[in-house]
Amino acid sequence: MRILAIETSCDETGVAVVDDGRHIISNVVASQLAHQDTGGIVPEVAAREHLRSLDAITQTALREAGVELRGVDAVAATVGPGLIGCLLVGANYARGLALSAGLPFVGVNHLEGHVYANWLYEGVVAPREPELPAIVLVVSGAHSDLVLMEAHRRFRPLGRTIDDAAGEAFDKVARLLGLGFPGGPLIEKAAKSGDPNAFPLPRATVSDRYDFSFSGLKTAVQRLVRSLEAKGEVPVNDVAASFQKAITETLAEKTARAAAEHAVDTVLLGGGVAANLALREEIAKRIGRPLVVPPPRLCTDNGAMIGAAAFFVLRHRGTEIPTTVRSDLKLA
Amino acid sequence: MTLLALDTSTAWASVALYDGRAVLAETTWHAQRRHGDELFPTIERMLTDARLSLAADIDRVAVASGPGSFTGLRVAIAAAQGIARGAGAALVGVSTLDVLAYPHAPSKQRTCALLPAGRTEWYAAIYQERNRKWLRRSPYIAATLPQLCRQIGTHTLFVGEIDEEAEQLLRDLLGPKALFASPASRMRRAGYLAELGWRALEAAPQTKLGEIEPIYVKQPSIRMTFDQPFSPAPTDDLALGLPKRS
Ligand SMILES: [Zn+2]
Repeated sequence: MRILAIETSCDETGVAVVDDGRHIISNVVASQLAHQDTGGIVPEVAAREHLRSLDAITQTALREAGVELRGVDAVAATVGPGLIGCLLVGANYARGLALSAGLPFVGVNHLEGHVYANWLYEGVVAPREPELPAIVLVVSGAHSDLVLMEAHRRFRPLGRTIDDAAGEAFDKVARLLGLGFPGGPLIEKAAKSGDPNAFPLPRATVSDRYDFSFSGLKTAVQRLVRSLEAKGEVPVNDVAASFQKAITETLAEKTARAAAEHAVDTVLLGGGVAANLALREEIAKRIGRPLVVPPPRLCTDNGAMIGAAAFFVLRHRGTEIPTTVRSDLKLA
Repeated sequence: MTLLALDTSTAWASVALYDGRAVLAETTWHAQRRHGDELFPTIERMLTDARLSLAADIDRVAVASGPGSFTGLRVAIAAAQGIARGAGAALVGVSTLDVLAYPHAPSKQRTCALLPAGRTEWYAAIYQERNRKWLRRSPYIAATLPQLCRQIGTHTLFVGEIDEEAEQLLRDLLGPKALFASPASRMRRAGYLAELGWRALEAAPQTKLGEIEPIYVKQPSIRMTFDQPFSPAPTDDLALGLPKRS
């Protein structure tokens, strides 16, 4: 089954063609540059950009796949969670394509997309599918969810952030350090030449549950930067490394503990923050074996992950296929 | 040959089918903010009732391109782009204000189309017949009613989504110069959008799908000011191309 999939939930316009939920035939992602000046995503600007580029990017994705719209079996699009104005652009364009080409439309939960990115591959030979059950950590600028995936499309939420998303914390600290936007890759780069043990920072744990809280850590970094500024120059790389260590240890500790508690062998990662190598290494260290994670370009938002999830929606559909756009959709 | 017309510019939405001679079907409803959910079921129902299929029968699509609710405009434009792409149909964007004013052309009255633009602002454009042509006589603007009325010197027919409060304010500001279309005739209907879209596609070949851009008028962050009210002077390009009346 060949699926044309569209992702427009935030600031990436992504369109892909995916076979049988796993094999990427094409995967075109356009990152919006309009947000770099504002140091954050302006939803209205993002929605305008999606509408401006979506049709052209869809044409590119089909051309790169060497298929015509008539050659696909279904059209999928993200229907939530995300920025409502952005979701509506992708979902309505996709529904228009599907209806006029006589194809089924599949609405996809963006978080399921991040999960099923772990099933994707690009080469000729299919790697083995991840085994279930699995513990899944989805961490990005918009979400921080720790989930037990019992079977295909059966998710049990274990914890989520009670304040900022992990990626938001990266963005805010990057802004504090004057590194720019988006914060994730910039912090990671600065941290490479910094000392992660330079400054002790709190490991924000919320009791013994699996919820996350990052606002305390963010405030601690803020206070640290202020006091360093008062003394003179801020050792940006050291602060970045210390912050990265604190946040990855928190995420890795809970992920490893969840895997142990539920006696699960598979740990899957998704979301933009999952592209962070320090986080991958920390989790691998704690679970005592190498992690199988999507390459960074499949961790950040893209159309292929929506195409993968859409396939499993069709294969394991319990109820009706969702079509309604919901900005606050959850994994369940 | 059949044209599908889509308009989700405001809380009122409308869709229609038109074959160049008659409106085959039309649905106008108060969608509030549910366009995203209701547009496609409504299109599908209308097609089924008309015994038409998108893939086989629709070769033209017209979409109301604003000004209006930013999100609403994008819902219909994205849907129209997808439909036109999938059906291989020609696509045209028509201003929502042009659609509002168009049925009043035979009145020969100077006409002002109004749509709410949030808080106290309104989207507006002025239309008038000149040399037997129905022309838009102003750019698309966003302004408060007092700002707008400063530009109105003569008897003007107001059409669009004008609530009681706005109607009273216009009467206070303009006195007897303010005329109002009846509640039903001041509304937008996709049948008119279909007629205008059909005519535009007869006159000019289709633009590229990606070139259909919403008429936002207002920037996301920078507020539109009313410094250059009715300049630049509209040219004949702005003519809606109504046939000359004899
Ligand atoms: Zn995401």
